[in-house]
Amino acid sequence: MKIELTVNGEKRTVQAEPLSRLLDILRDGLSLHGCKEGCGEGECGACSVIMNGQLVNACMVPAMQAAGADILTVEGLGTKESPDALQMAFIDEGAVHCGFCTPGMILAARDLLEKNPAPDRDDIRLALSGNLCRCTGYERIYAAVGKAVRDGYNARRSIAKADAQPVYEGDERDKYFSPKTLDEALAILGKYPDILILSGNTDIGTELKSGKRVPECALDIFSIPELKQIRRDGDVIRIGASVTNTQIMESGLIREKLPALHQASSMCAAPAIRNRATVGGNFCTASGAADLPGALFALGAEAVVQSASGRRTMTAPEFIKAYRKPNLEPGELLVELVVPIPPETARQQFYKRGSRAALTLSRVSLALYVEVENGVITTCRAAAGSMSPTPIRLPKLEATLTGRRLDAALVDEAVATVRAELSPRKSAQYRKALSGNLVRRFLEGVLEETGAAVS
Amino acid sequence: MSSQFKYVGKPLPRLDAYDKVAGTAVYAADLDVPDAWEAGVLRSPVAAGRLRKIDRDPSFDWSQVCVVTAADIPGVNAVHMIRDDYIAIVEEKIDFVSQALALVAAPDKKTLAAALAALKPDIEPVEPALTIEDSLAVKNKVWGEDNVMDDFAVNRGDVEQGFREADVIIENTYRTGLQEHIYLENCGMIAWPTADGVRVAGSLQCPHYVHNALAMALALDTKNIQVQQTTTGGAFGGKEDYPSVMAVWTALLARKCGKPVKLLYDRGEDMLVTPKRHPSKIHHKIGMKRDGTITAAEVDLYIDGGACTSMSKVVLARAVLHCTGAYKVPNAKLRARAMATNTPPNGAFRGFGAPQAIYAIERQMDFAAMKLGMDPYTIRLKNVLHRGDSFPFGQVLEDGASAEIVLRDVVERSNFVEKWRQCMEQPAGRIRKGIGLSLCMHGGGFTGSGEDTMGTTVDVELCPDGRVEVLSGSTEMGQGTDTMLPMYVAEVLGLPLERVSHPLPDTTRAPNSGPTAASRTAMFVGRACVDAGENLIKMMKEFIAEKRGVIPDGYADGVFSKDGKPVSTMDEAAALWFAEPGRGRLVARGMVHPDDRYKWDEVKFHGTAYKGYSWLAQVLEIEVDLDTYEIHPIKSTVSTEVGRAINPIQVEGQMAGGVLQSYGMGYLEEMTVTPEGKFSAHQLNAYLIPTTLDTPEFSVRIFEDPSPFGAFGAKGLGELACDGGAPAVASAVDNAAGVHAVEAPLTGEKLFNLLEAKAAGTNAEGKA
Repeated sequence: MKIELTVNGEKRTVQAEPLSRLLDILRDGLSLHGCKEGCGEGECGACSVIMNGQLVNACMVPAMQAAGADILTVEGLGTKESPDALQMAFIDEGAVHCGFCTPGMILAARDLLEKNPAPDRDDIRLALSGNLCRCTGYERIYAAVGKAVRDGYNARRSIAKADAQPVYEGDERDKYFSPKTLDEALAILGKYPDILILSGNTDIGTELKSGKRVPECALDIFSIPELKQIRRDGDVIRIGASVTNTQIMESGLIREKLPALHQASSMCAAPAIRNRATVGGNFCTASGAADLPGALFALGAEAVVQSASGRRTMTAPEFIKAYRKPNLEPGELLVELVVPIPPETARQQFYKRGSRAALTLSRVSLALYVEVENGVITTCRAAAGSMSPTPIRLPKLEATLTGRRLDAALVDEAVATVRAELSPRKSAQYRKALSGNLVRRFLEGVLEETGAAVS
Repeated sequence: MSSQFKYVGKPLPRLDAYDKVAGTAVYAADLDVPDAWEAGVLRSPVAAGRLRKIDRDPSFDWSQVCVVTAADIPGVNAVHMIRDDYIAIVEEKIDFVSQALALVAAPDKKTLAAALAALKPDIEPVEPALTIEDSLAVKNKVWGEDNVMDDFAVNRGDVEQGFREADVIIENTYRTGLQEHIYLENCGMIAWPTADGVRVAGSLQCPHYVHNALAMALALDTKNIQVQQTTTGGAFGGKEDYPSVMAVWTALLARKCGKPVKLLYDRGEDMLVTPKRHPSKIHHKIGMKRDGTITAAEVDLYIDGGACTSMSKVVLARAVLHCTGAYKVPNAKLRARAMATNTPPNGAFRGFGAPQAIYAIERQMDFAAMKLGMDPYTIRLKNVLHRGDSFPFGQVLEDGASAEIVLRDVVERSNFVEKWRQCMEQPAGRIRKGIGLSLCMHGGGFTGSGEDTMGTTVDVELCPDGRVEVLSGSTEMGQGTDTMLPMYVAEVLGLPLERVSHPLPDTTRAPNSGPTAASRTAMFVGRACVDAGENLIKMMKEFIAEKRGVIPDGYADGVFSKDGKPVSTMDEAAALWFAEPGRGRLVARGMVHPDDRYKWDEVKFHGTAYKGYSWLAQVLEIEVDLDTYEIHPIKSTVSTEVGRAINPIQVEGQMAGGVLQSYGMGYLEEMTVTPEGKFSAHQLNAYLIPTTLDTPEFSVRIFEDPSPFGAFGAKGLGELACDGGAPAVASAVDNAAGVHAVEAPLTGEKLFNLLEAKAAGTNAEGKA
């Protein structure tokens, strides 16, 4: 396969295997060794680069998705002899120690400054939360970013994203596909029903690395415009399957109407992963560890799947049949999630307890949704993640709450119910207790907020 | 911080930073090695057993790869370390999961994988000993007859009498877990066959360790071995012993197949096979008067060494010497044993036994304070060592006894006592605030007479083009060596720092300046740098005398003088030197000369254990979420005395980084051994180090009390940073949640268990 891309402002043509990684293209193909491999799984940030104006982990981007891309690596900022002001700030503020995280860290900072020229300390911490440093305790790195800001670092630039496609060669033409429209994608899928469907590649990339998955062919749907939209359609919000967590986070519509989904996306991994990981991918992986399905279960979402011959709609939980088994017939693609817009009486919350504050899998995730009228819970949907092979609805908790007047006694009952209802395989007591605590926190919050209306 | 020096004590930009920000620093994986073969290791799937044979699948074409087994080792089948008990390739007895059964090199990764899959080891497994308890019970004979690899004792006074004099006894058993270094750059090594030997280059801390290991295992003449360090992306002790293993393996393969061979670990392999911090089990008993004065301590300390000695002997020595902390203990009976288990050998990790020991003593001080109704500050202040006091092993503190200074400062700056009281009285609620305190010290340099017998050597070379090179085997791995050593030399020679560099060590050029370990570089290697610089000046004075007939009596800022009048510049003299045929290189050698005024008795474990102690007190403020059992570090105040901060901005970062690593050990970083003897995590999503969002705000204050034993007064600080964070976390949780940990890491689940036990009324505190 041949792809054209713009690297550090220069047009480059490279030869690569379609499923090799952008990391390998940069390091081996273009000798840009500033892009470091620390884990190959999107867990350390050492290979962070800016792709089409967004921070990504180069280890998570398959070559076939890099066609036409505009890539900025650390070599594109300044040189050893003439570092740019951000690099210079890292030098001056003592932010460089072993140096292995440094290029990725600088690019994460650069990405932040491209979007926000005057970040505060918390903005910086968030922006760098996917970039591990084991030497500095991060403090000198914040100081470096702060210095670049004070020095008026100019991070403006034009992005040369082209609408280029990979040029597949030989029998690759029958194996790898980068369609531009949904119809094309569905036609290919109809012809090759077993093809690997690639979107953000944040889950599949780790399986490609471990050898758990050795695909013969692949279909890229990440950039298909029809799958990339969030839009209001009457009483519902339609979220395309290739919508990323970042898109969800940045959507005003979702922040206003579906705050639980906004919260779930905000707690997902770290910026570079959020820029790639999609809602469709999170569903199709069909794993209990996923966060977005739980949120969308609680929000009453439906999943729409489509093939060349038609569409099917099902509830979101129906889509995840079992661990790693999405409800897709041969030739079908998950195309969108459809979420009813909650009424004014609705309260919703997503909770996640990972093992640390960022870049972490959930040990417990819980999505809670109630509609409260005159102190009575008229509708309740609850879902839990990471405590079973797939995310699950919590029918007993829902039944306990639905139709009941919300008061302290009901809160106690709900807590007991959810603890009994969950049966995590590992660390059961801890996770049951934690889940109960979160149900209490949510309901007490709702009670406090709606209490006035009742009395 | 003002300084009377031109460079030393100034916050200078690092010399290696320019390449690192530009992406042009060359790490092991960045080396372009045309025609290199890929190396792989056939590893034991079992923790203990007997290798009967290795079958080779006849359907595989073995002519296309190179296989090395124990029978191919020309020298001793061991990787030279403290004891030569680290078997390079299994002959028969298997002692841990991942142990090398055979090595393979192949032209590409695909062929390598096929070859490894076509090797079928025939193993008779036996029941392994996986824990300290298994090892003590000799569930399997891992090492010797009783699995005790080393056993040290320190005794002082009459401990029984001391306990009789006590009003309270605090007695607890503490445990700390495995900790993985997670240097950002994984281990990597490349070997090239040469006519009579081998050249290796890789990510490593101690080039001369690697050099010696190659000489022994490959039976090579030392002059036919070349070891080069590539830019090293973090090490923290993790690249002290293990690179020797990788070098021996790749060298064996390269010598056999005649090609360059590279072994570059990915994160999974690195996490599964490389050394970790030793888990510990420490039974700690102290007696105190009602006013908090310590009367006696009895400690029984175990570390889990894994399957062979590796660094365990010296880790154990440091653990026992640090296990009464920064306190006066008049009567002591301390015993420490390193136990062998069927797990991958544990090795060096920043702190080197001290973090485990400090965890126990600092928890003891908190438990004692609770029992006596004191606050954590007052009880520590009551017992801190001062000048003239001595450790249980007899060493009298003569200088730089700064425990009280750092303790008082950190308490004052953080408003510890008032906040501690407020937190004790905080109303019930979901988010609990807590503040914790810890105090620690770290002995700089090798234990005992190590620094006197090491022969630390540095060369300083003035090159014809005017550059000055500091040649040493000390490595830059993130901690600043490549800037600090040139700062020393620039200071002594009075030449601009821009002219001075410390090239990556290459054993064909760099003399042995000892391992880059034990927080010894600034302190001791620095002395050899100073000595070399002074010797260069002396040498040139003599040269000038010879040439000019004037014996200079002064030297400053690159100019030799006589009676205050300039005689020659260093550069003029050098030009003269190079103009003369036969003079050769202009290089001067420096050493750390043994100092026999201070004695260490290795047998009695008595005397001057370390030439200089550095001190650190820290206050950690946290929030605990009682709904989610999460600990959030908010603010860390650190006060430390390090002799002299050679490059203060670097010290600040190194301090914060080390302290953060110890917070990781305290509550976040969990690794265990599975029932099969494997490490529980091989991915960064399963072993979690702190991200920006897990990191408190740091406020670091540095005190200086220059040590007479360190270059420009420096003392060790790299490890000190890592010694006291874990107990500070537990101390803050005491205060926040009223539950009292005896185990690190204090994960969410363990915190939950403590809270449940408290609710059930079964929470154990220090028992009387």
